[in-house]
Amino acid sequence: MFLTMIKPLFKNKKFIIGFSIFIIFLLMGFLGPVFYRVDPTEMTWDYEQPPSPSHPLGTDTYGRDILAQLFHGIRSSLYIGFLAAIISLVIGTFIGTLSAVKRGLVDDTLMAVTNIVLTTPSILIAILIASYLKVRSIEIVALILGLFQWPWFARAIRAQLMSVMSREYVNLSIMAGYSDLRLIFEDLIPTIATYAFMSFVLFINGGIMGEAGLSLIGLGPTRGISLGIMLQWAVLMEAVRRGMWWWFVPPGLSIVAITASLLVISTAMDEVFNPRLREE
Amino acid sequence: MASRSAVKYILRRLIFLFITYVVATTIVFILPRAIPGNPLSQILSNLSRVAQSNPEAIRAAEKNLMEEFGLGKPWYLQYVEFIGKALKGDLGTSITYYPRKVMDLIVPVIPWTLVLILPATIVAWILGNSLGALAAYRRNTWIDKGVLTGSLVVSQIPYYWLGMIFIFFFGVKLGWLPVQGAYSQGTIPDLSWAFFMDALKHYILPFLSIVVSAMGGWAIGMRLMVIYELGSDYANFSEYIGMKDKRIFRYVFRNSLLPQVTGLALSLGSVLGGALITEIVFNYPGTGYLLFKALTTLDYPLIQGVFVILIASVYLANFIVDFVYALIDPRIRIGQEE
Amino acid sequence: MENVLLKAENLRAYYKLEKVSVKAVDGLSFEIYEDEVVGVVGESGCGKTTLSNVIFMNMVKPLTLVGGKIFLKVNGSFEEISALSRDEVKEKFWGKEMTIIPQSAMNALMPTIKMERYVQHLAESHGLDARELIDKTLQRFKEVGLETSWLKRYPFELSGGMRQRAVIAVSTILNPSLLVADEPTSALDVVNQKVFLKVLMSLKRRGIVKSIILITHDIATVRQIADRMIIMYAGKIVELSPIDELLEKPLHPYTEGLLNSVLTPEPEVKKRGIVTIPGAPPNLIDPPSGCRFHPRCPHMMDVCKEKEPPLVEIEPGRRVACFLYAGERT
Repeated sequence: MFLTMIKPLFKNKKFIIGFSIFIIFLLMGFLGPVFYRVDPTEMTWDYEQPPSPSHPLGTDTYGRDILAQLFHGIRSSLYIGFLAAIISLVIGTFIGTLSAVKRGLVDDTLMAVTNIVLTTPSILIAILIASYLKVRSIEIVALILGLFQWPWFARAIRAQLMSVMSREYVNLSIMAGYSDLRLIFEDLIPTIATYAFMSFVLFINGGIMGEAGLSLIGLGPTRGISLGIMLQWAVLMEAVRRGMWWWFVPPGLSIVAITASLLVISTAMDEVFNPRLREE
Repeated sequence: MASRSAVKYILRRLIFLFITYVVATTIVFILPRAIPGNPLSQILSNLSRVAQSNPEAIRAAEKNLMEEFGLGKPWYLQYVEFIGKALKGDLGTSITYYPRKVMDLIVPVIPWTLVLILPATIVAWILGNSLGALAAYRRNTWIDKGVLTGSLVVSQIPYYWLGMIFIFFFGVKLGWLPVQGAYSQGTIPDLSWAFFMDALKHYILPFLSIVVSAMGGWAIGMRLMVIYELGSDYANFSEYIGMKDKRIFRYVFRNSLLPQVTGLALSLGSVLGGALITEIVFNYPGTGYLLFKALTTLDYPLIQGVFVILIASVYLANFIVDFVYALIDPRIRIGQEE
Repeated sequence: MENVLLKAENLRAYYKLEKVSVKAVDGLSFEIYEDEVVGVVGESGCGKTTLSNVIFMNMVKPLTLVGGKIFLKVNGSFEEISALSRDEVKEKFWGKEMTIIPQSAMNALMPTIKMERYVQHLAESHGLDARELIDKTLQRFKEVGLETSWLKRYPFELSGGMRQRAVIAVSTILNPSLLVADEPTSALDVVNQKVFLKVLMSLKRRGIVKSIILITHDIATVRQIADRMIIMYAGKIVELSPIDELLEKPLHPYTEGLLNSVLTPEPEVKKRGIVTIPGAPPNLIDPPSGCRFHPRCPHMMDVCKEKEPPLVEIEPGRRVACFLYAGERT
């Protein structure tokens, strides 16, 4: 059943393009460090060198290999993105479903909280939290980012569930005396699965972009290399104004390529699964 | 009767934003006290760094800090004091720039940020929406495909990275425009024509980088909105009774723009966040740059102060957008039947 | 031909998709006379809404006119509108000669401007004097039972039924000869349905519109006001007949099933409507061979699977497409 669902996607040109680009970067993150065995933190005397056969993407101020940094950076950024997305998805699904199923006071309270978080400039609060943490692991950064991007998803899930629940078969389940939990798992979750998956993809984007933003202000992960950390180093060392394009172009380009490809994937899925847009 | 519903809407939004602001400032207040490892002790150890250059300052700063954070008092008293002072415009004393008051540091940088963000956001909103509407109007032509593909990619370019590219290309490679700051080093801001031109030159790149990368998102949203509205009942009906295409498109444009106004309110926070980082990349002397300085020196009173102001301004802008929305949408101005 | 208002000859309009075509209107011939109400009835998906688009020449890709001709009488002479492009027909006839009350008439008015402004814009579009047209609309508002002061309001300030009447008033403001109403009553409660049909009839009586085509799946609505009925099944006309004869003695087995499903006394069955015809309507990409109704027909014969029954007149004014009446031509 899963296969038949996926199949029409691979007939969509947009999806194929987006998916291919994303896979390339995914492979770079996974396999890059395995095959290109250069330590991204090893300092050499070949500092600030433009791309050359020995350093395909050149080196930074401390003579560290940019390509090795890039592979590790892509890996960490994707990891942060996925982690943040999972956190957002879990919180959003939990609050959205609870709101829709319980209604009444629970619904009112949860929606009030959701609206407050939605209006709060989340990136600012994320900066604030990060600034008070002396040590920030990659997971902590993902957590901070994941904590703030769920509200619109929770609202959408709630709205979708409410409309689904007014349909016949759910009423049947309620009449049959099924528990709330069973209702959620058997009737409701399947109907929102595609939507959730599309949102997941966008959450990854939020995580990757958020990490880059935090890192640039100096609040990124305190250990490890991410795409944002690479950009931060480049800014700190004035790579831009000193013309070292090989330092700041690759990480930025990777961010754009990864997030844009994910966005294209998500739009293509929307076209395939919600034909409303194709109609006319 | 007509205005009552609008007033009700505005009041509701005002109360909501006020509550949200209280929540946000409470977070700002609680965080340094709740996070394990007590950041305050970090501050004190940090003080010794400052003290090397200014030995007698440390004792005064330390005393000041203890007082300002009200350490030793119960937390709710600390909170009441914090709010009370904040309302009077007293956000404490900076550590890095001791003994300057936080407020005195923030006030002069705010205009620079406003001058950068406001026009850039509005221009991006207008251009993006126009492009999106154009693409939808010419659906499935090369214009549409070009705008859509371009917007999809551009919308994913972080402001600050586009800023870097612009600096590198137009500043470093071509040498057309200055590569950093809001005005040439050594000049003193005044109201002369020369200074204005100098500032304008410095303004172009950061402004453009925000406009270009913010535009894409609006264009994508507007295109979808317009396509949706073009298929709506009123658009079809207007066609059937012989309304001119141009007029129908104006209807559709108008109705599609309304949700985009709400979208503007919702996106303000992230726009501000992005713009702050852009300031850092450009060494542009705005709020973001000040915040960056405060963060790198762990100047907590200053960080706290900047946040209180920034969050307040986001909510203020939010409220203004809500107000404008209530003015232009008759469904809110007059109140819907159902 | 004298008192014919609209004539369709072998109309075929398909939704042309990438590889397949949905044959939503497939070989329809009929005429609409002046001063009559014709009901077009069929299950959803039988092509009746497509038919309304075809009558208007509202061909928006993927809908394509594959063959056939449509003539509309304009100022006493026939115009072949199927020979014109969509834009030409729109420019020349929409709103002036032919108009529609769409399926969701409640949301048909531009929501964020006052109705008076809307009428002004309409006058501009048609090159008419705005003041005159507004006066005319006020008059029309009175006729459909709306207060004239409401013209100065936004559509959302009116209730659903009132909005629908406002739509009637606005859509007939230029006295079009042909009015098409597409499922106009489906969103209304019973009281408003009655009012709506009354308003429709009074418009015809006053000669504001000459003829009305009422498209619906609901036979009960049509029989209240229609003179003739067209029964559609799977993109084809299966029966065309004056209403009284049709109700009294339906000829086509599908018509019979349709009527039974509505006229059966048990409210349970009545509510479920045409579901009582066994089977589901066929897909129109690859319709059944021969008579398209044969898989569901209780009187199916061998010939039905192989040959398509032509629509033939077997009594004056009564046409049916069914081999049961193969010997009864007049």
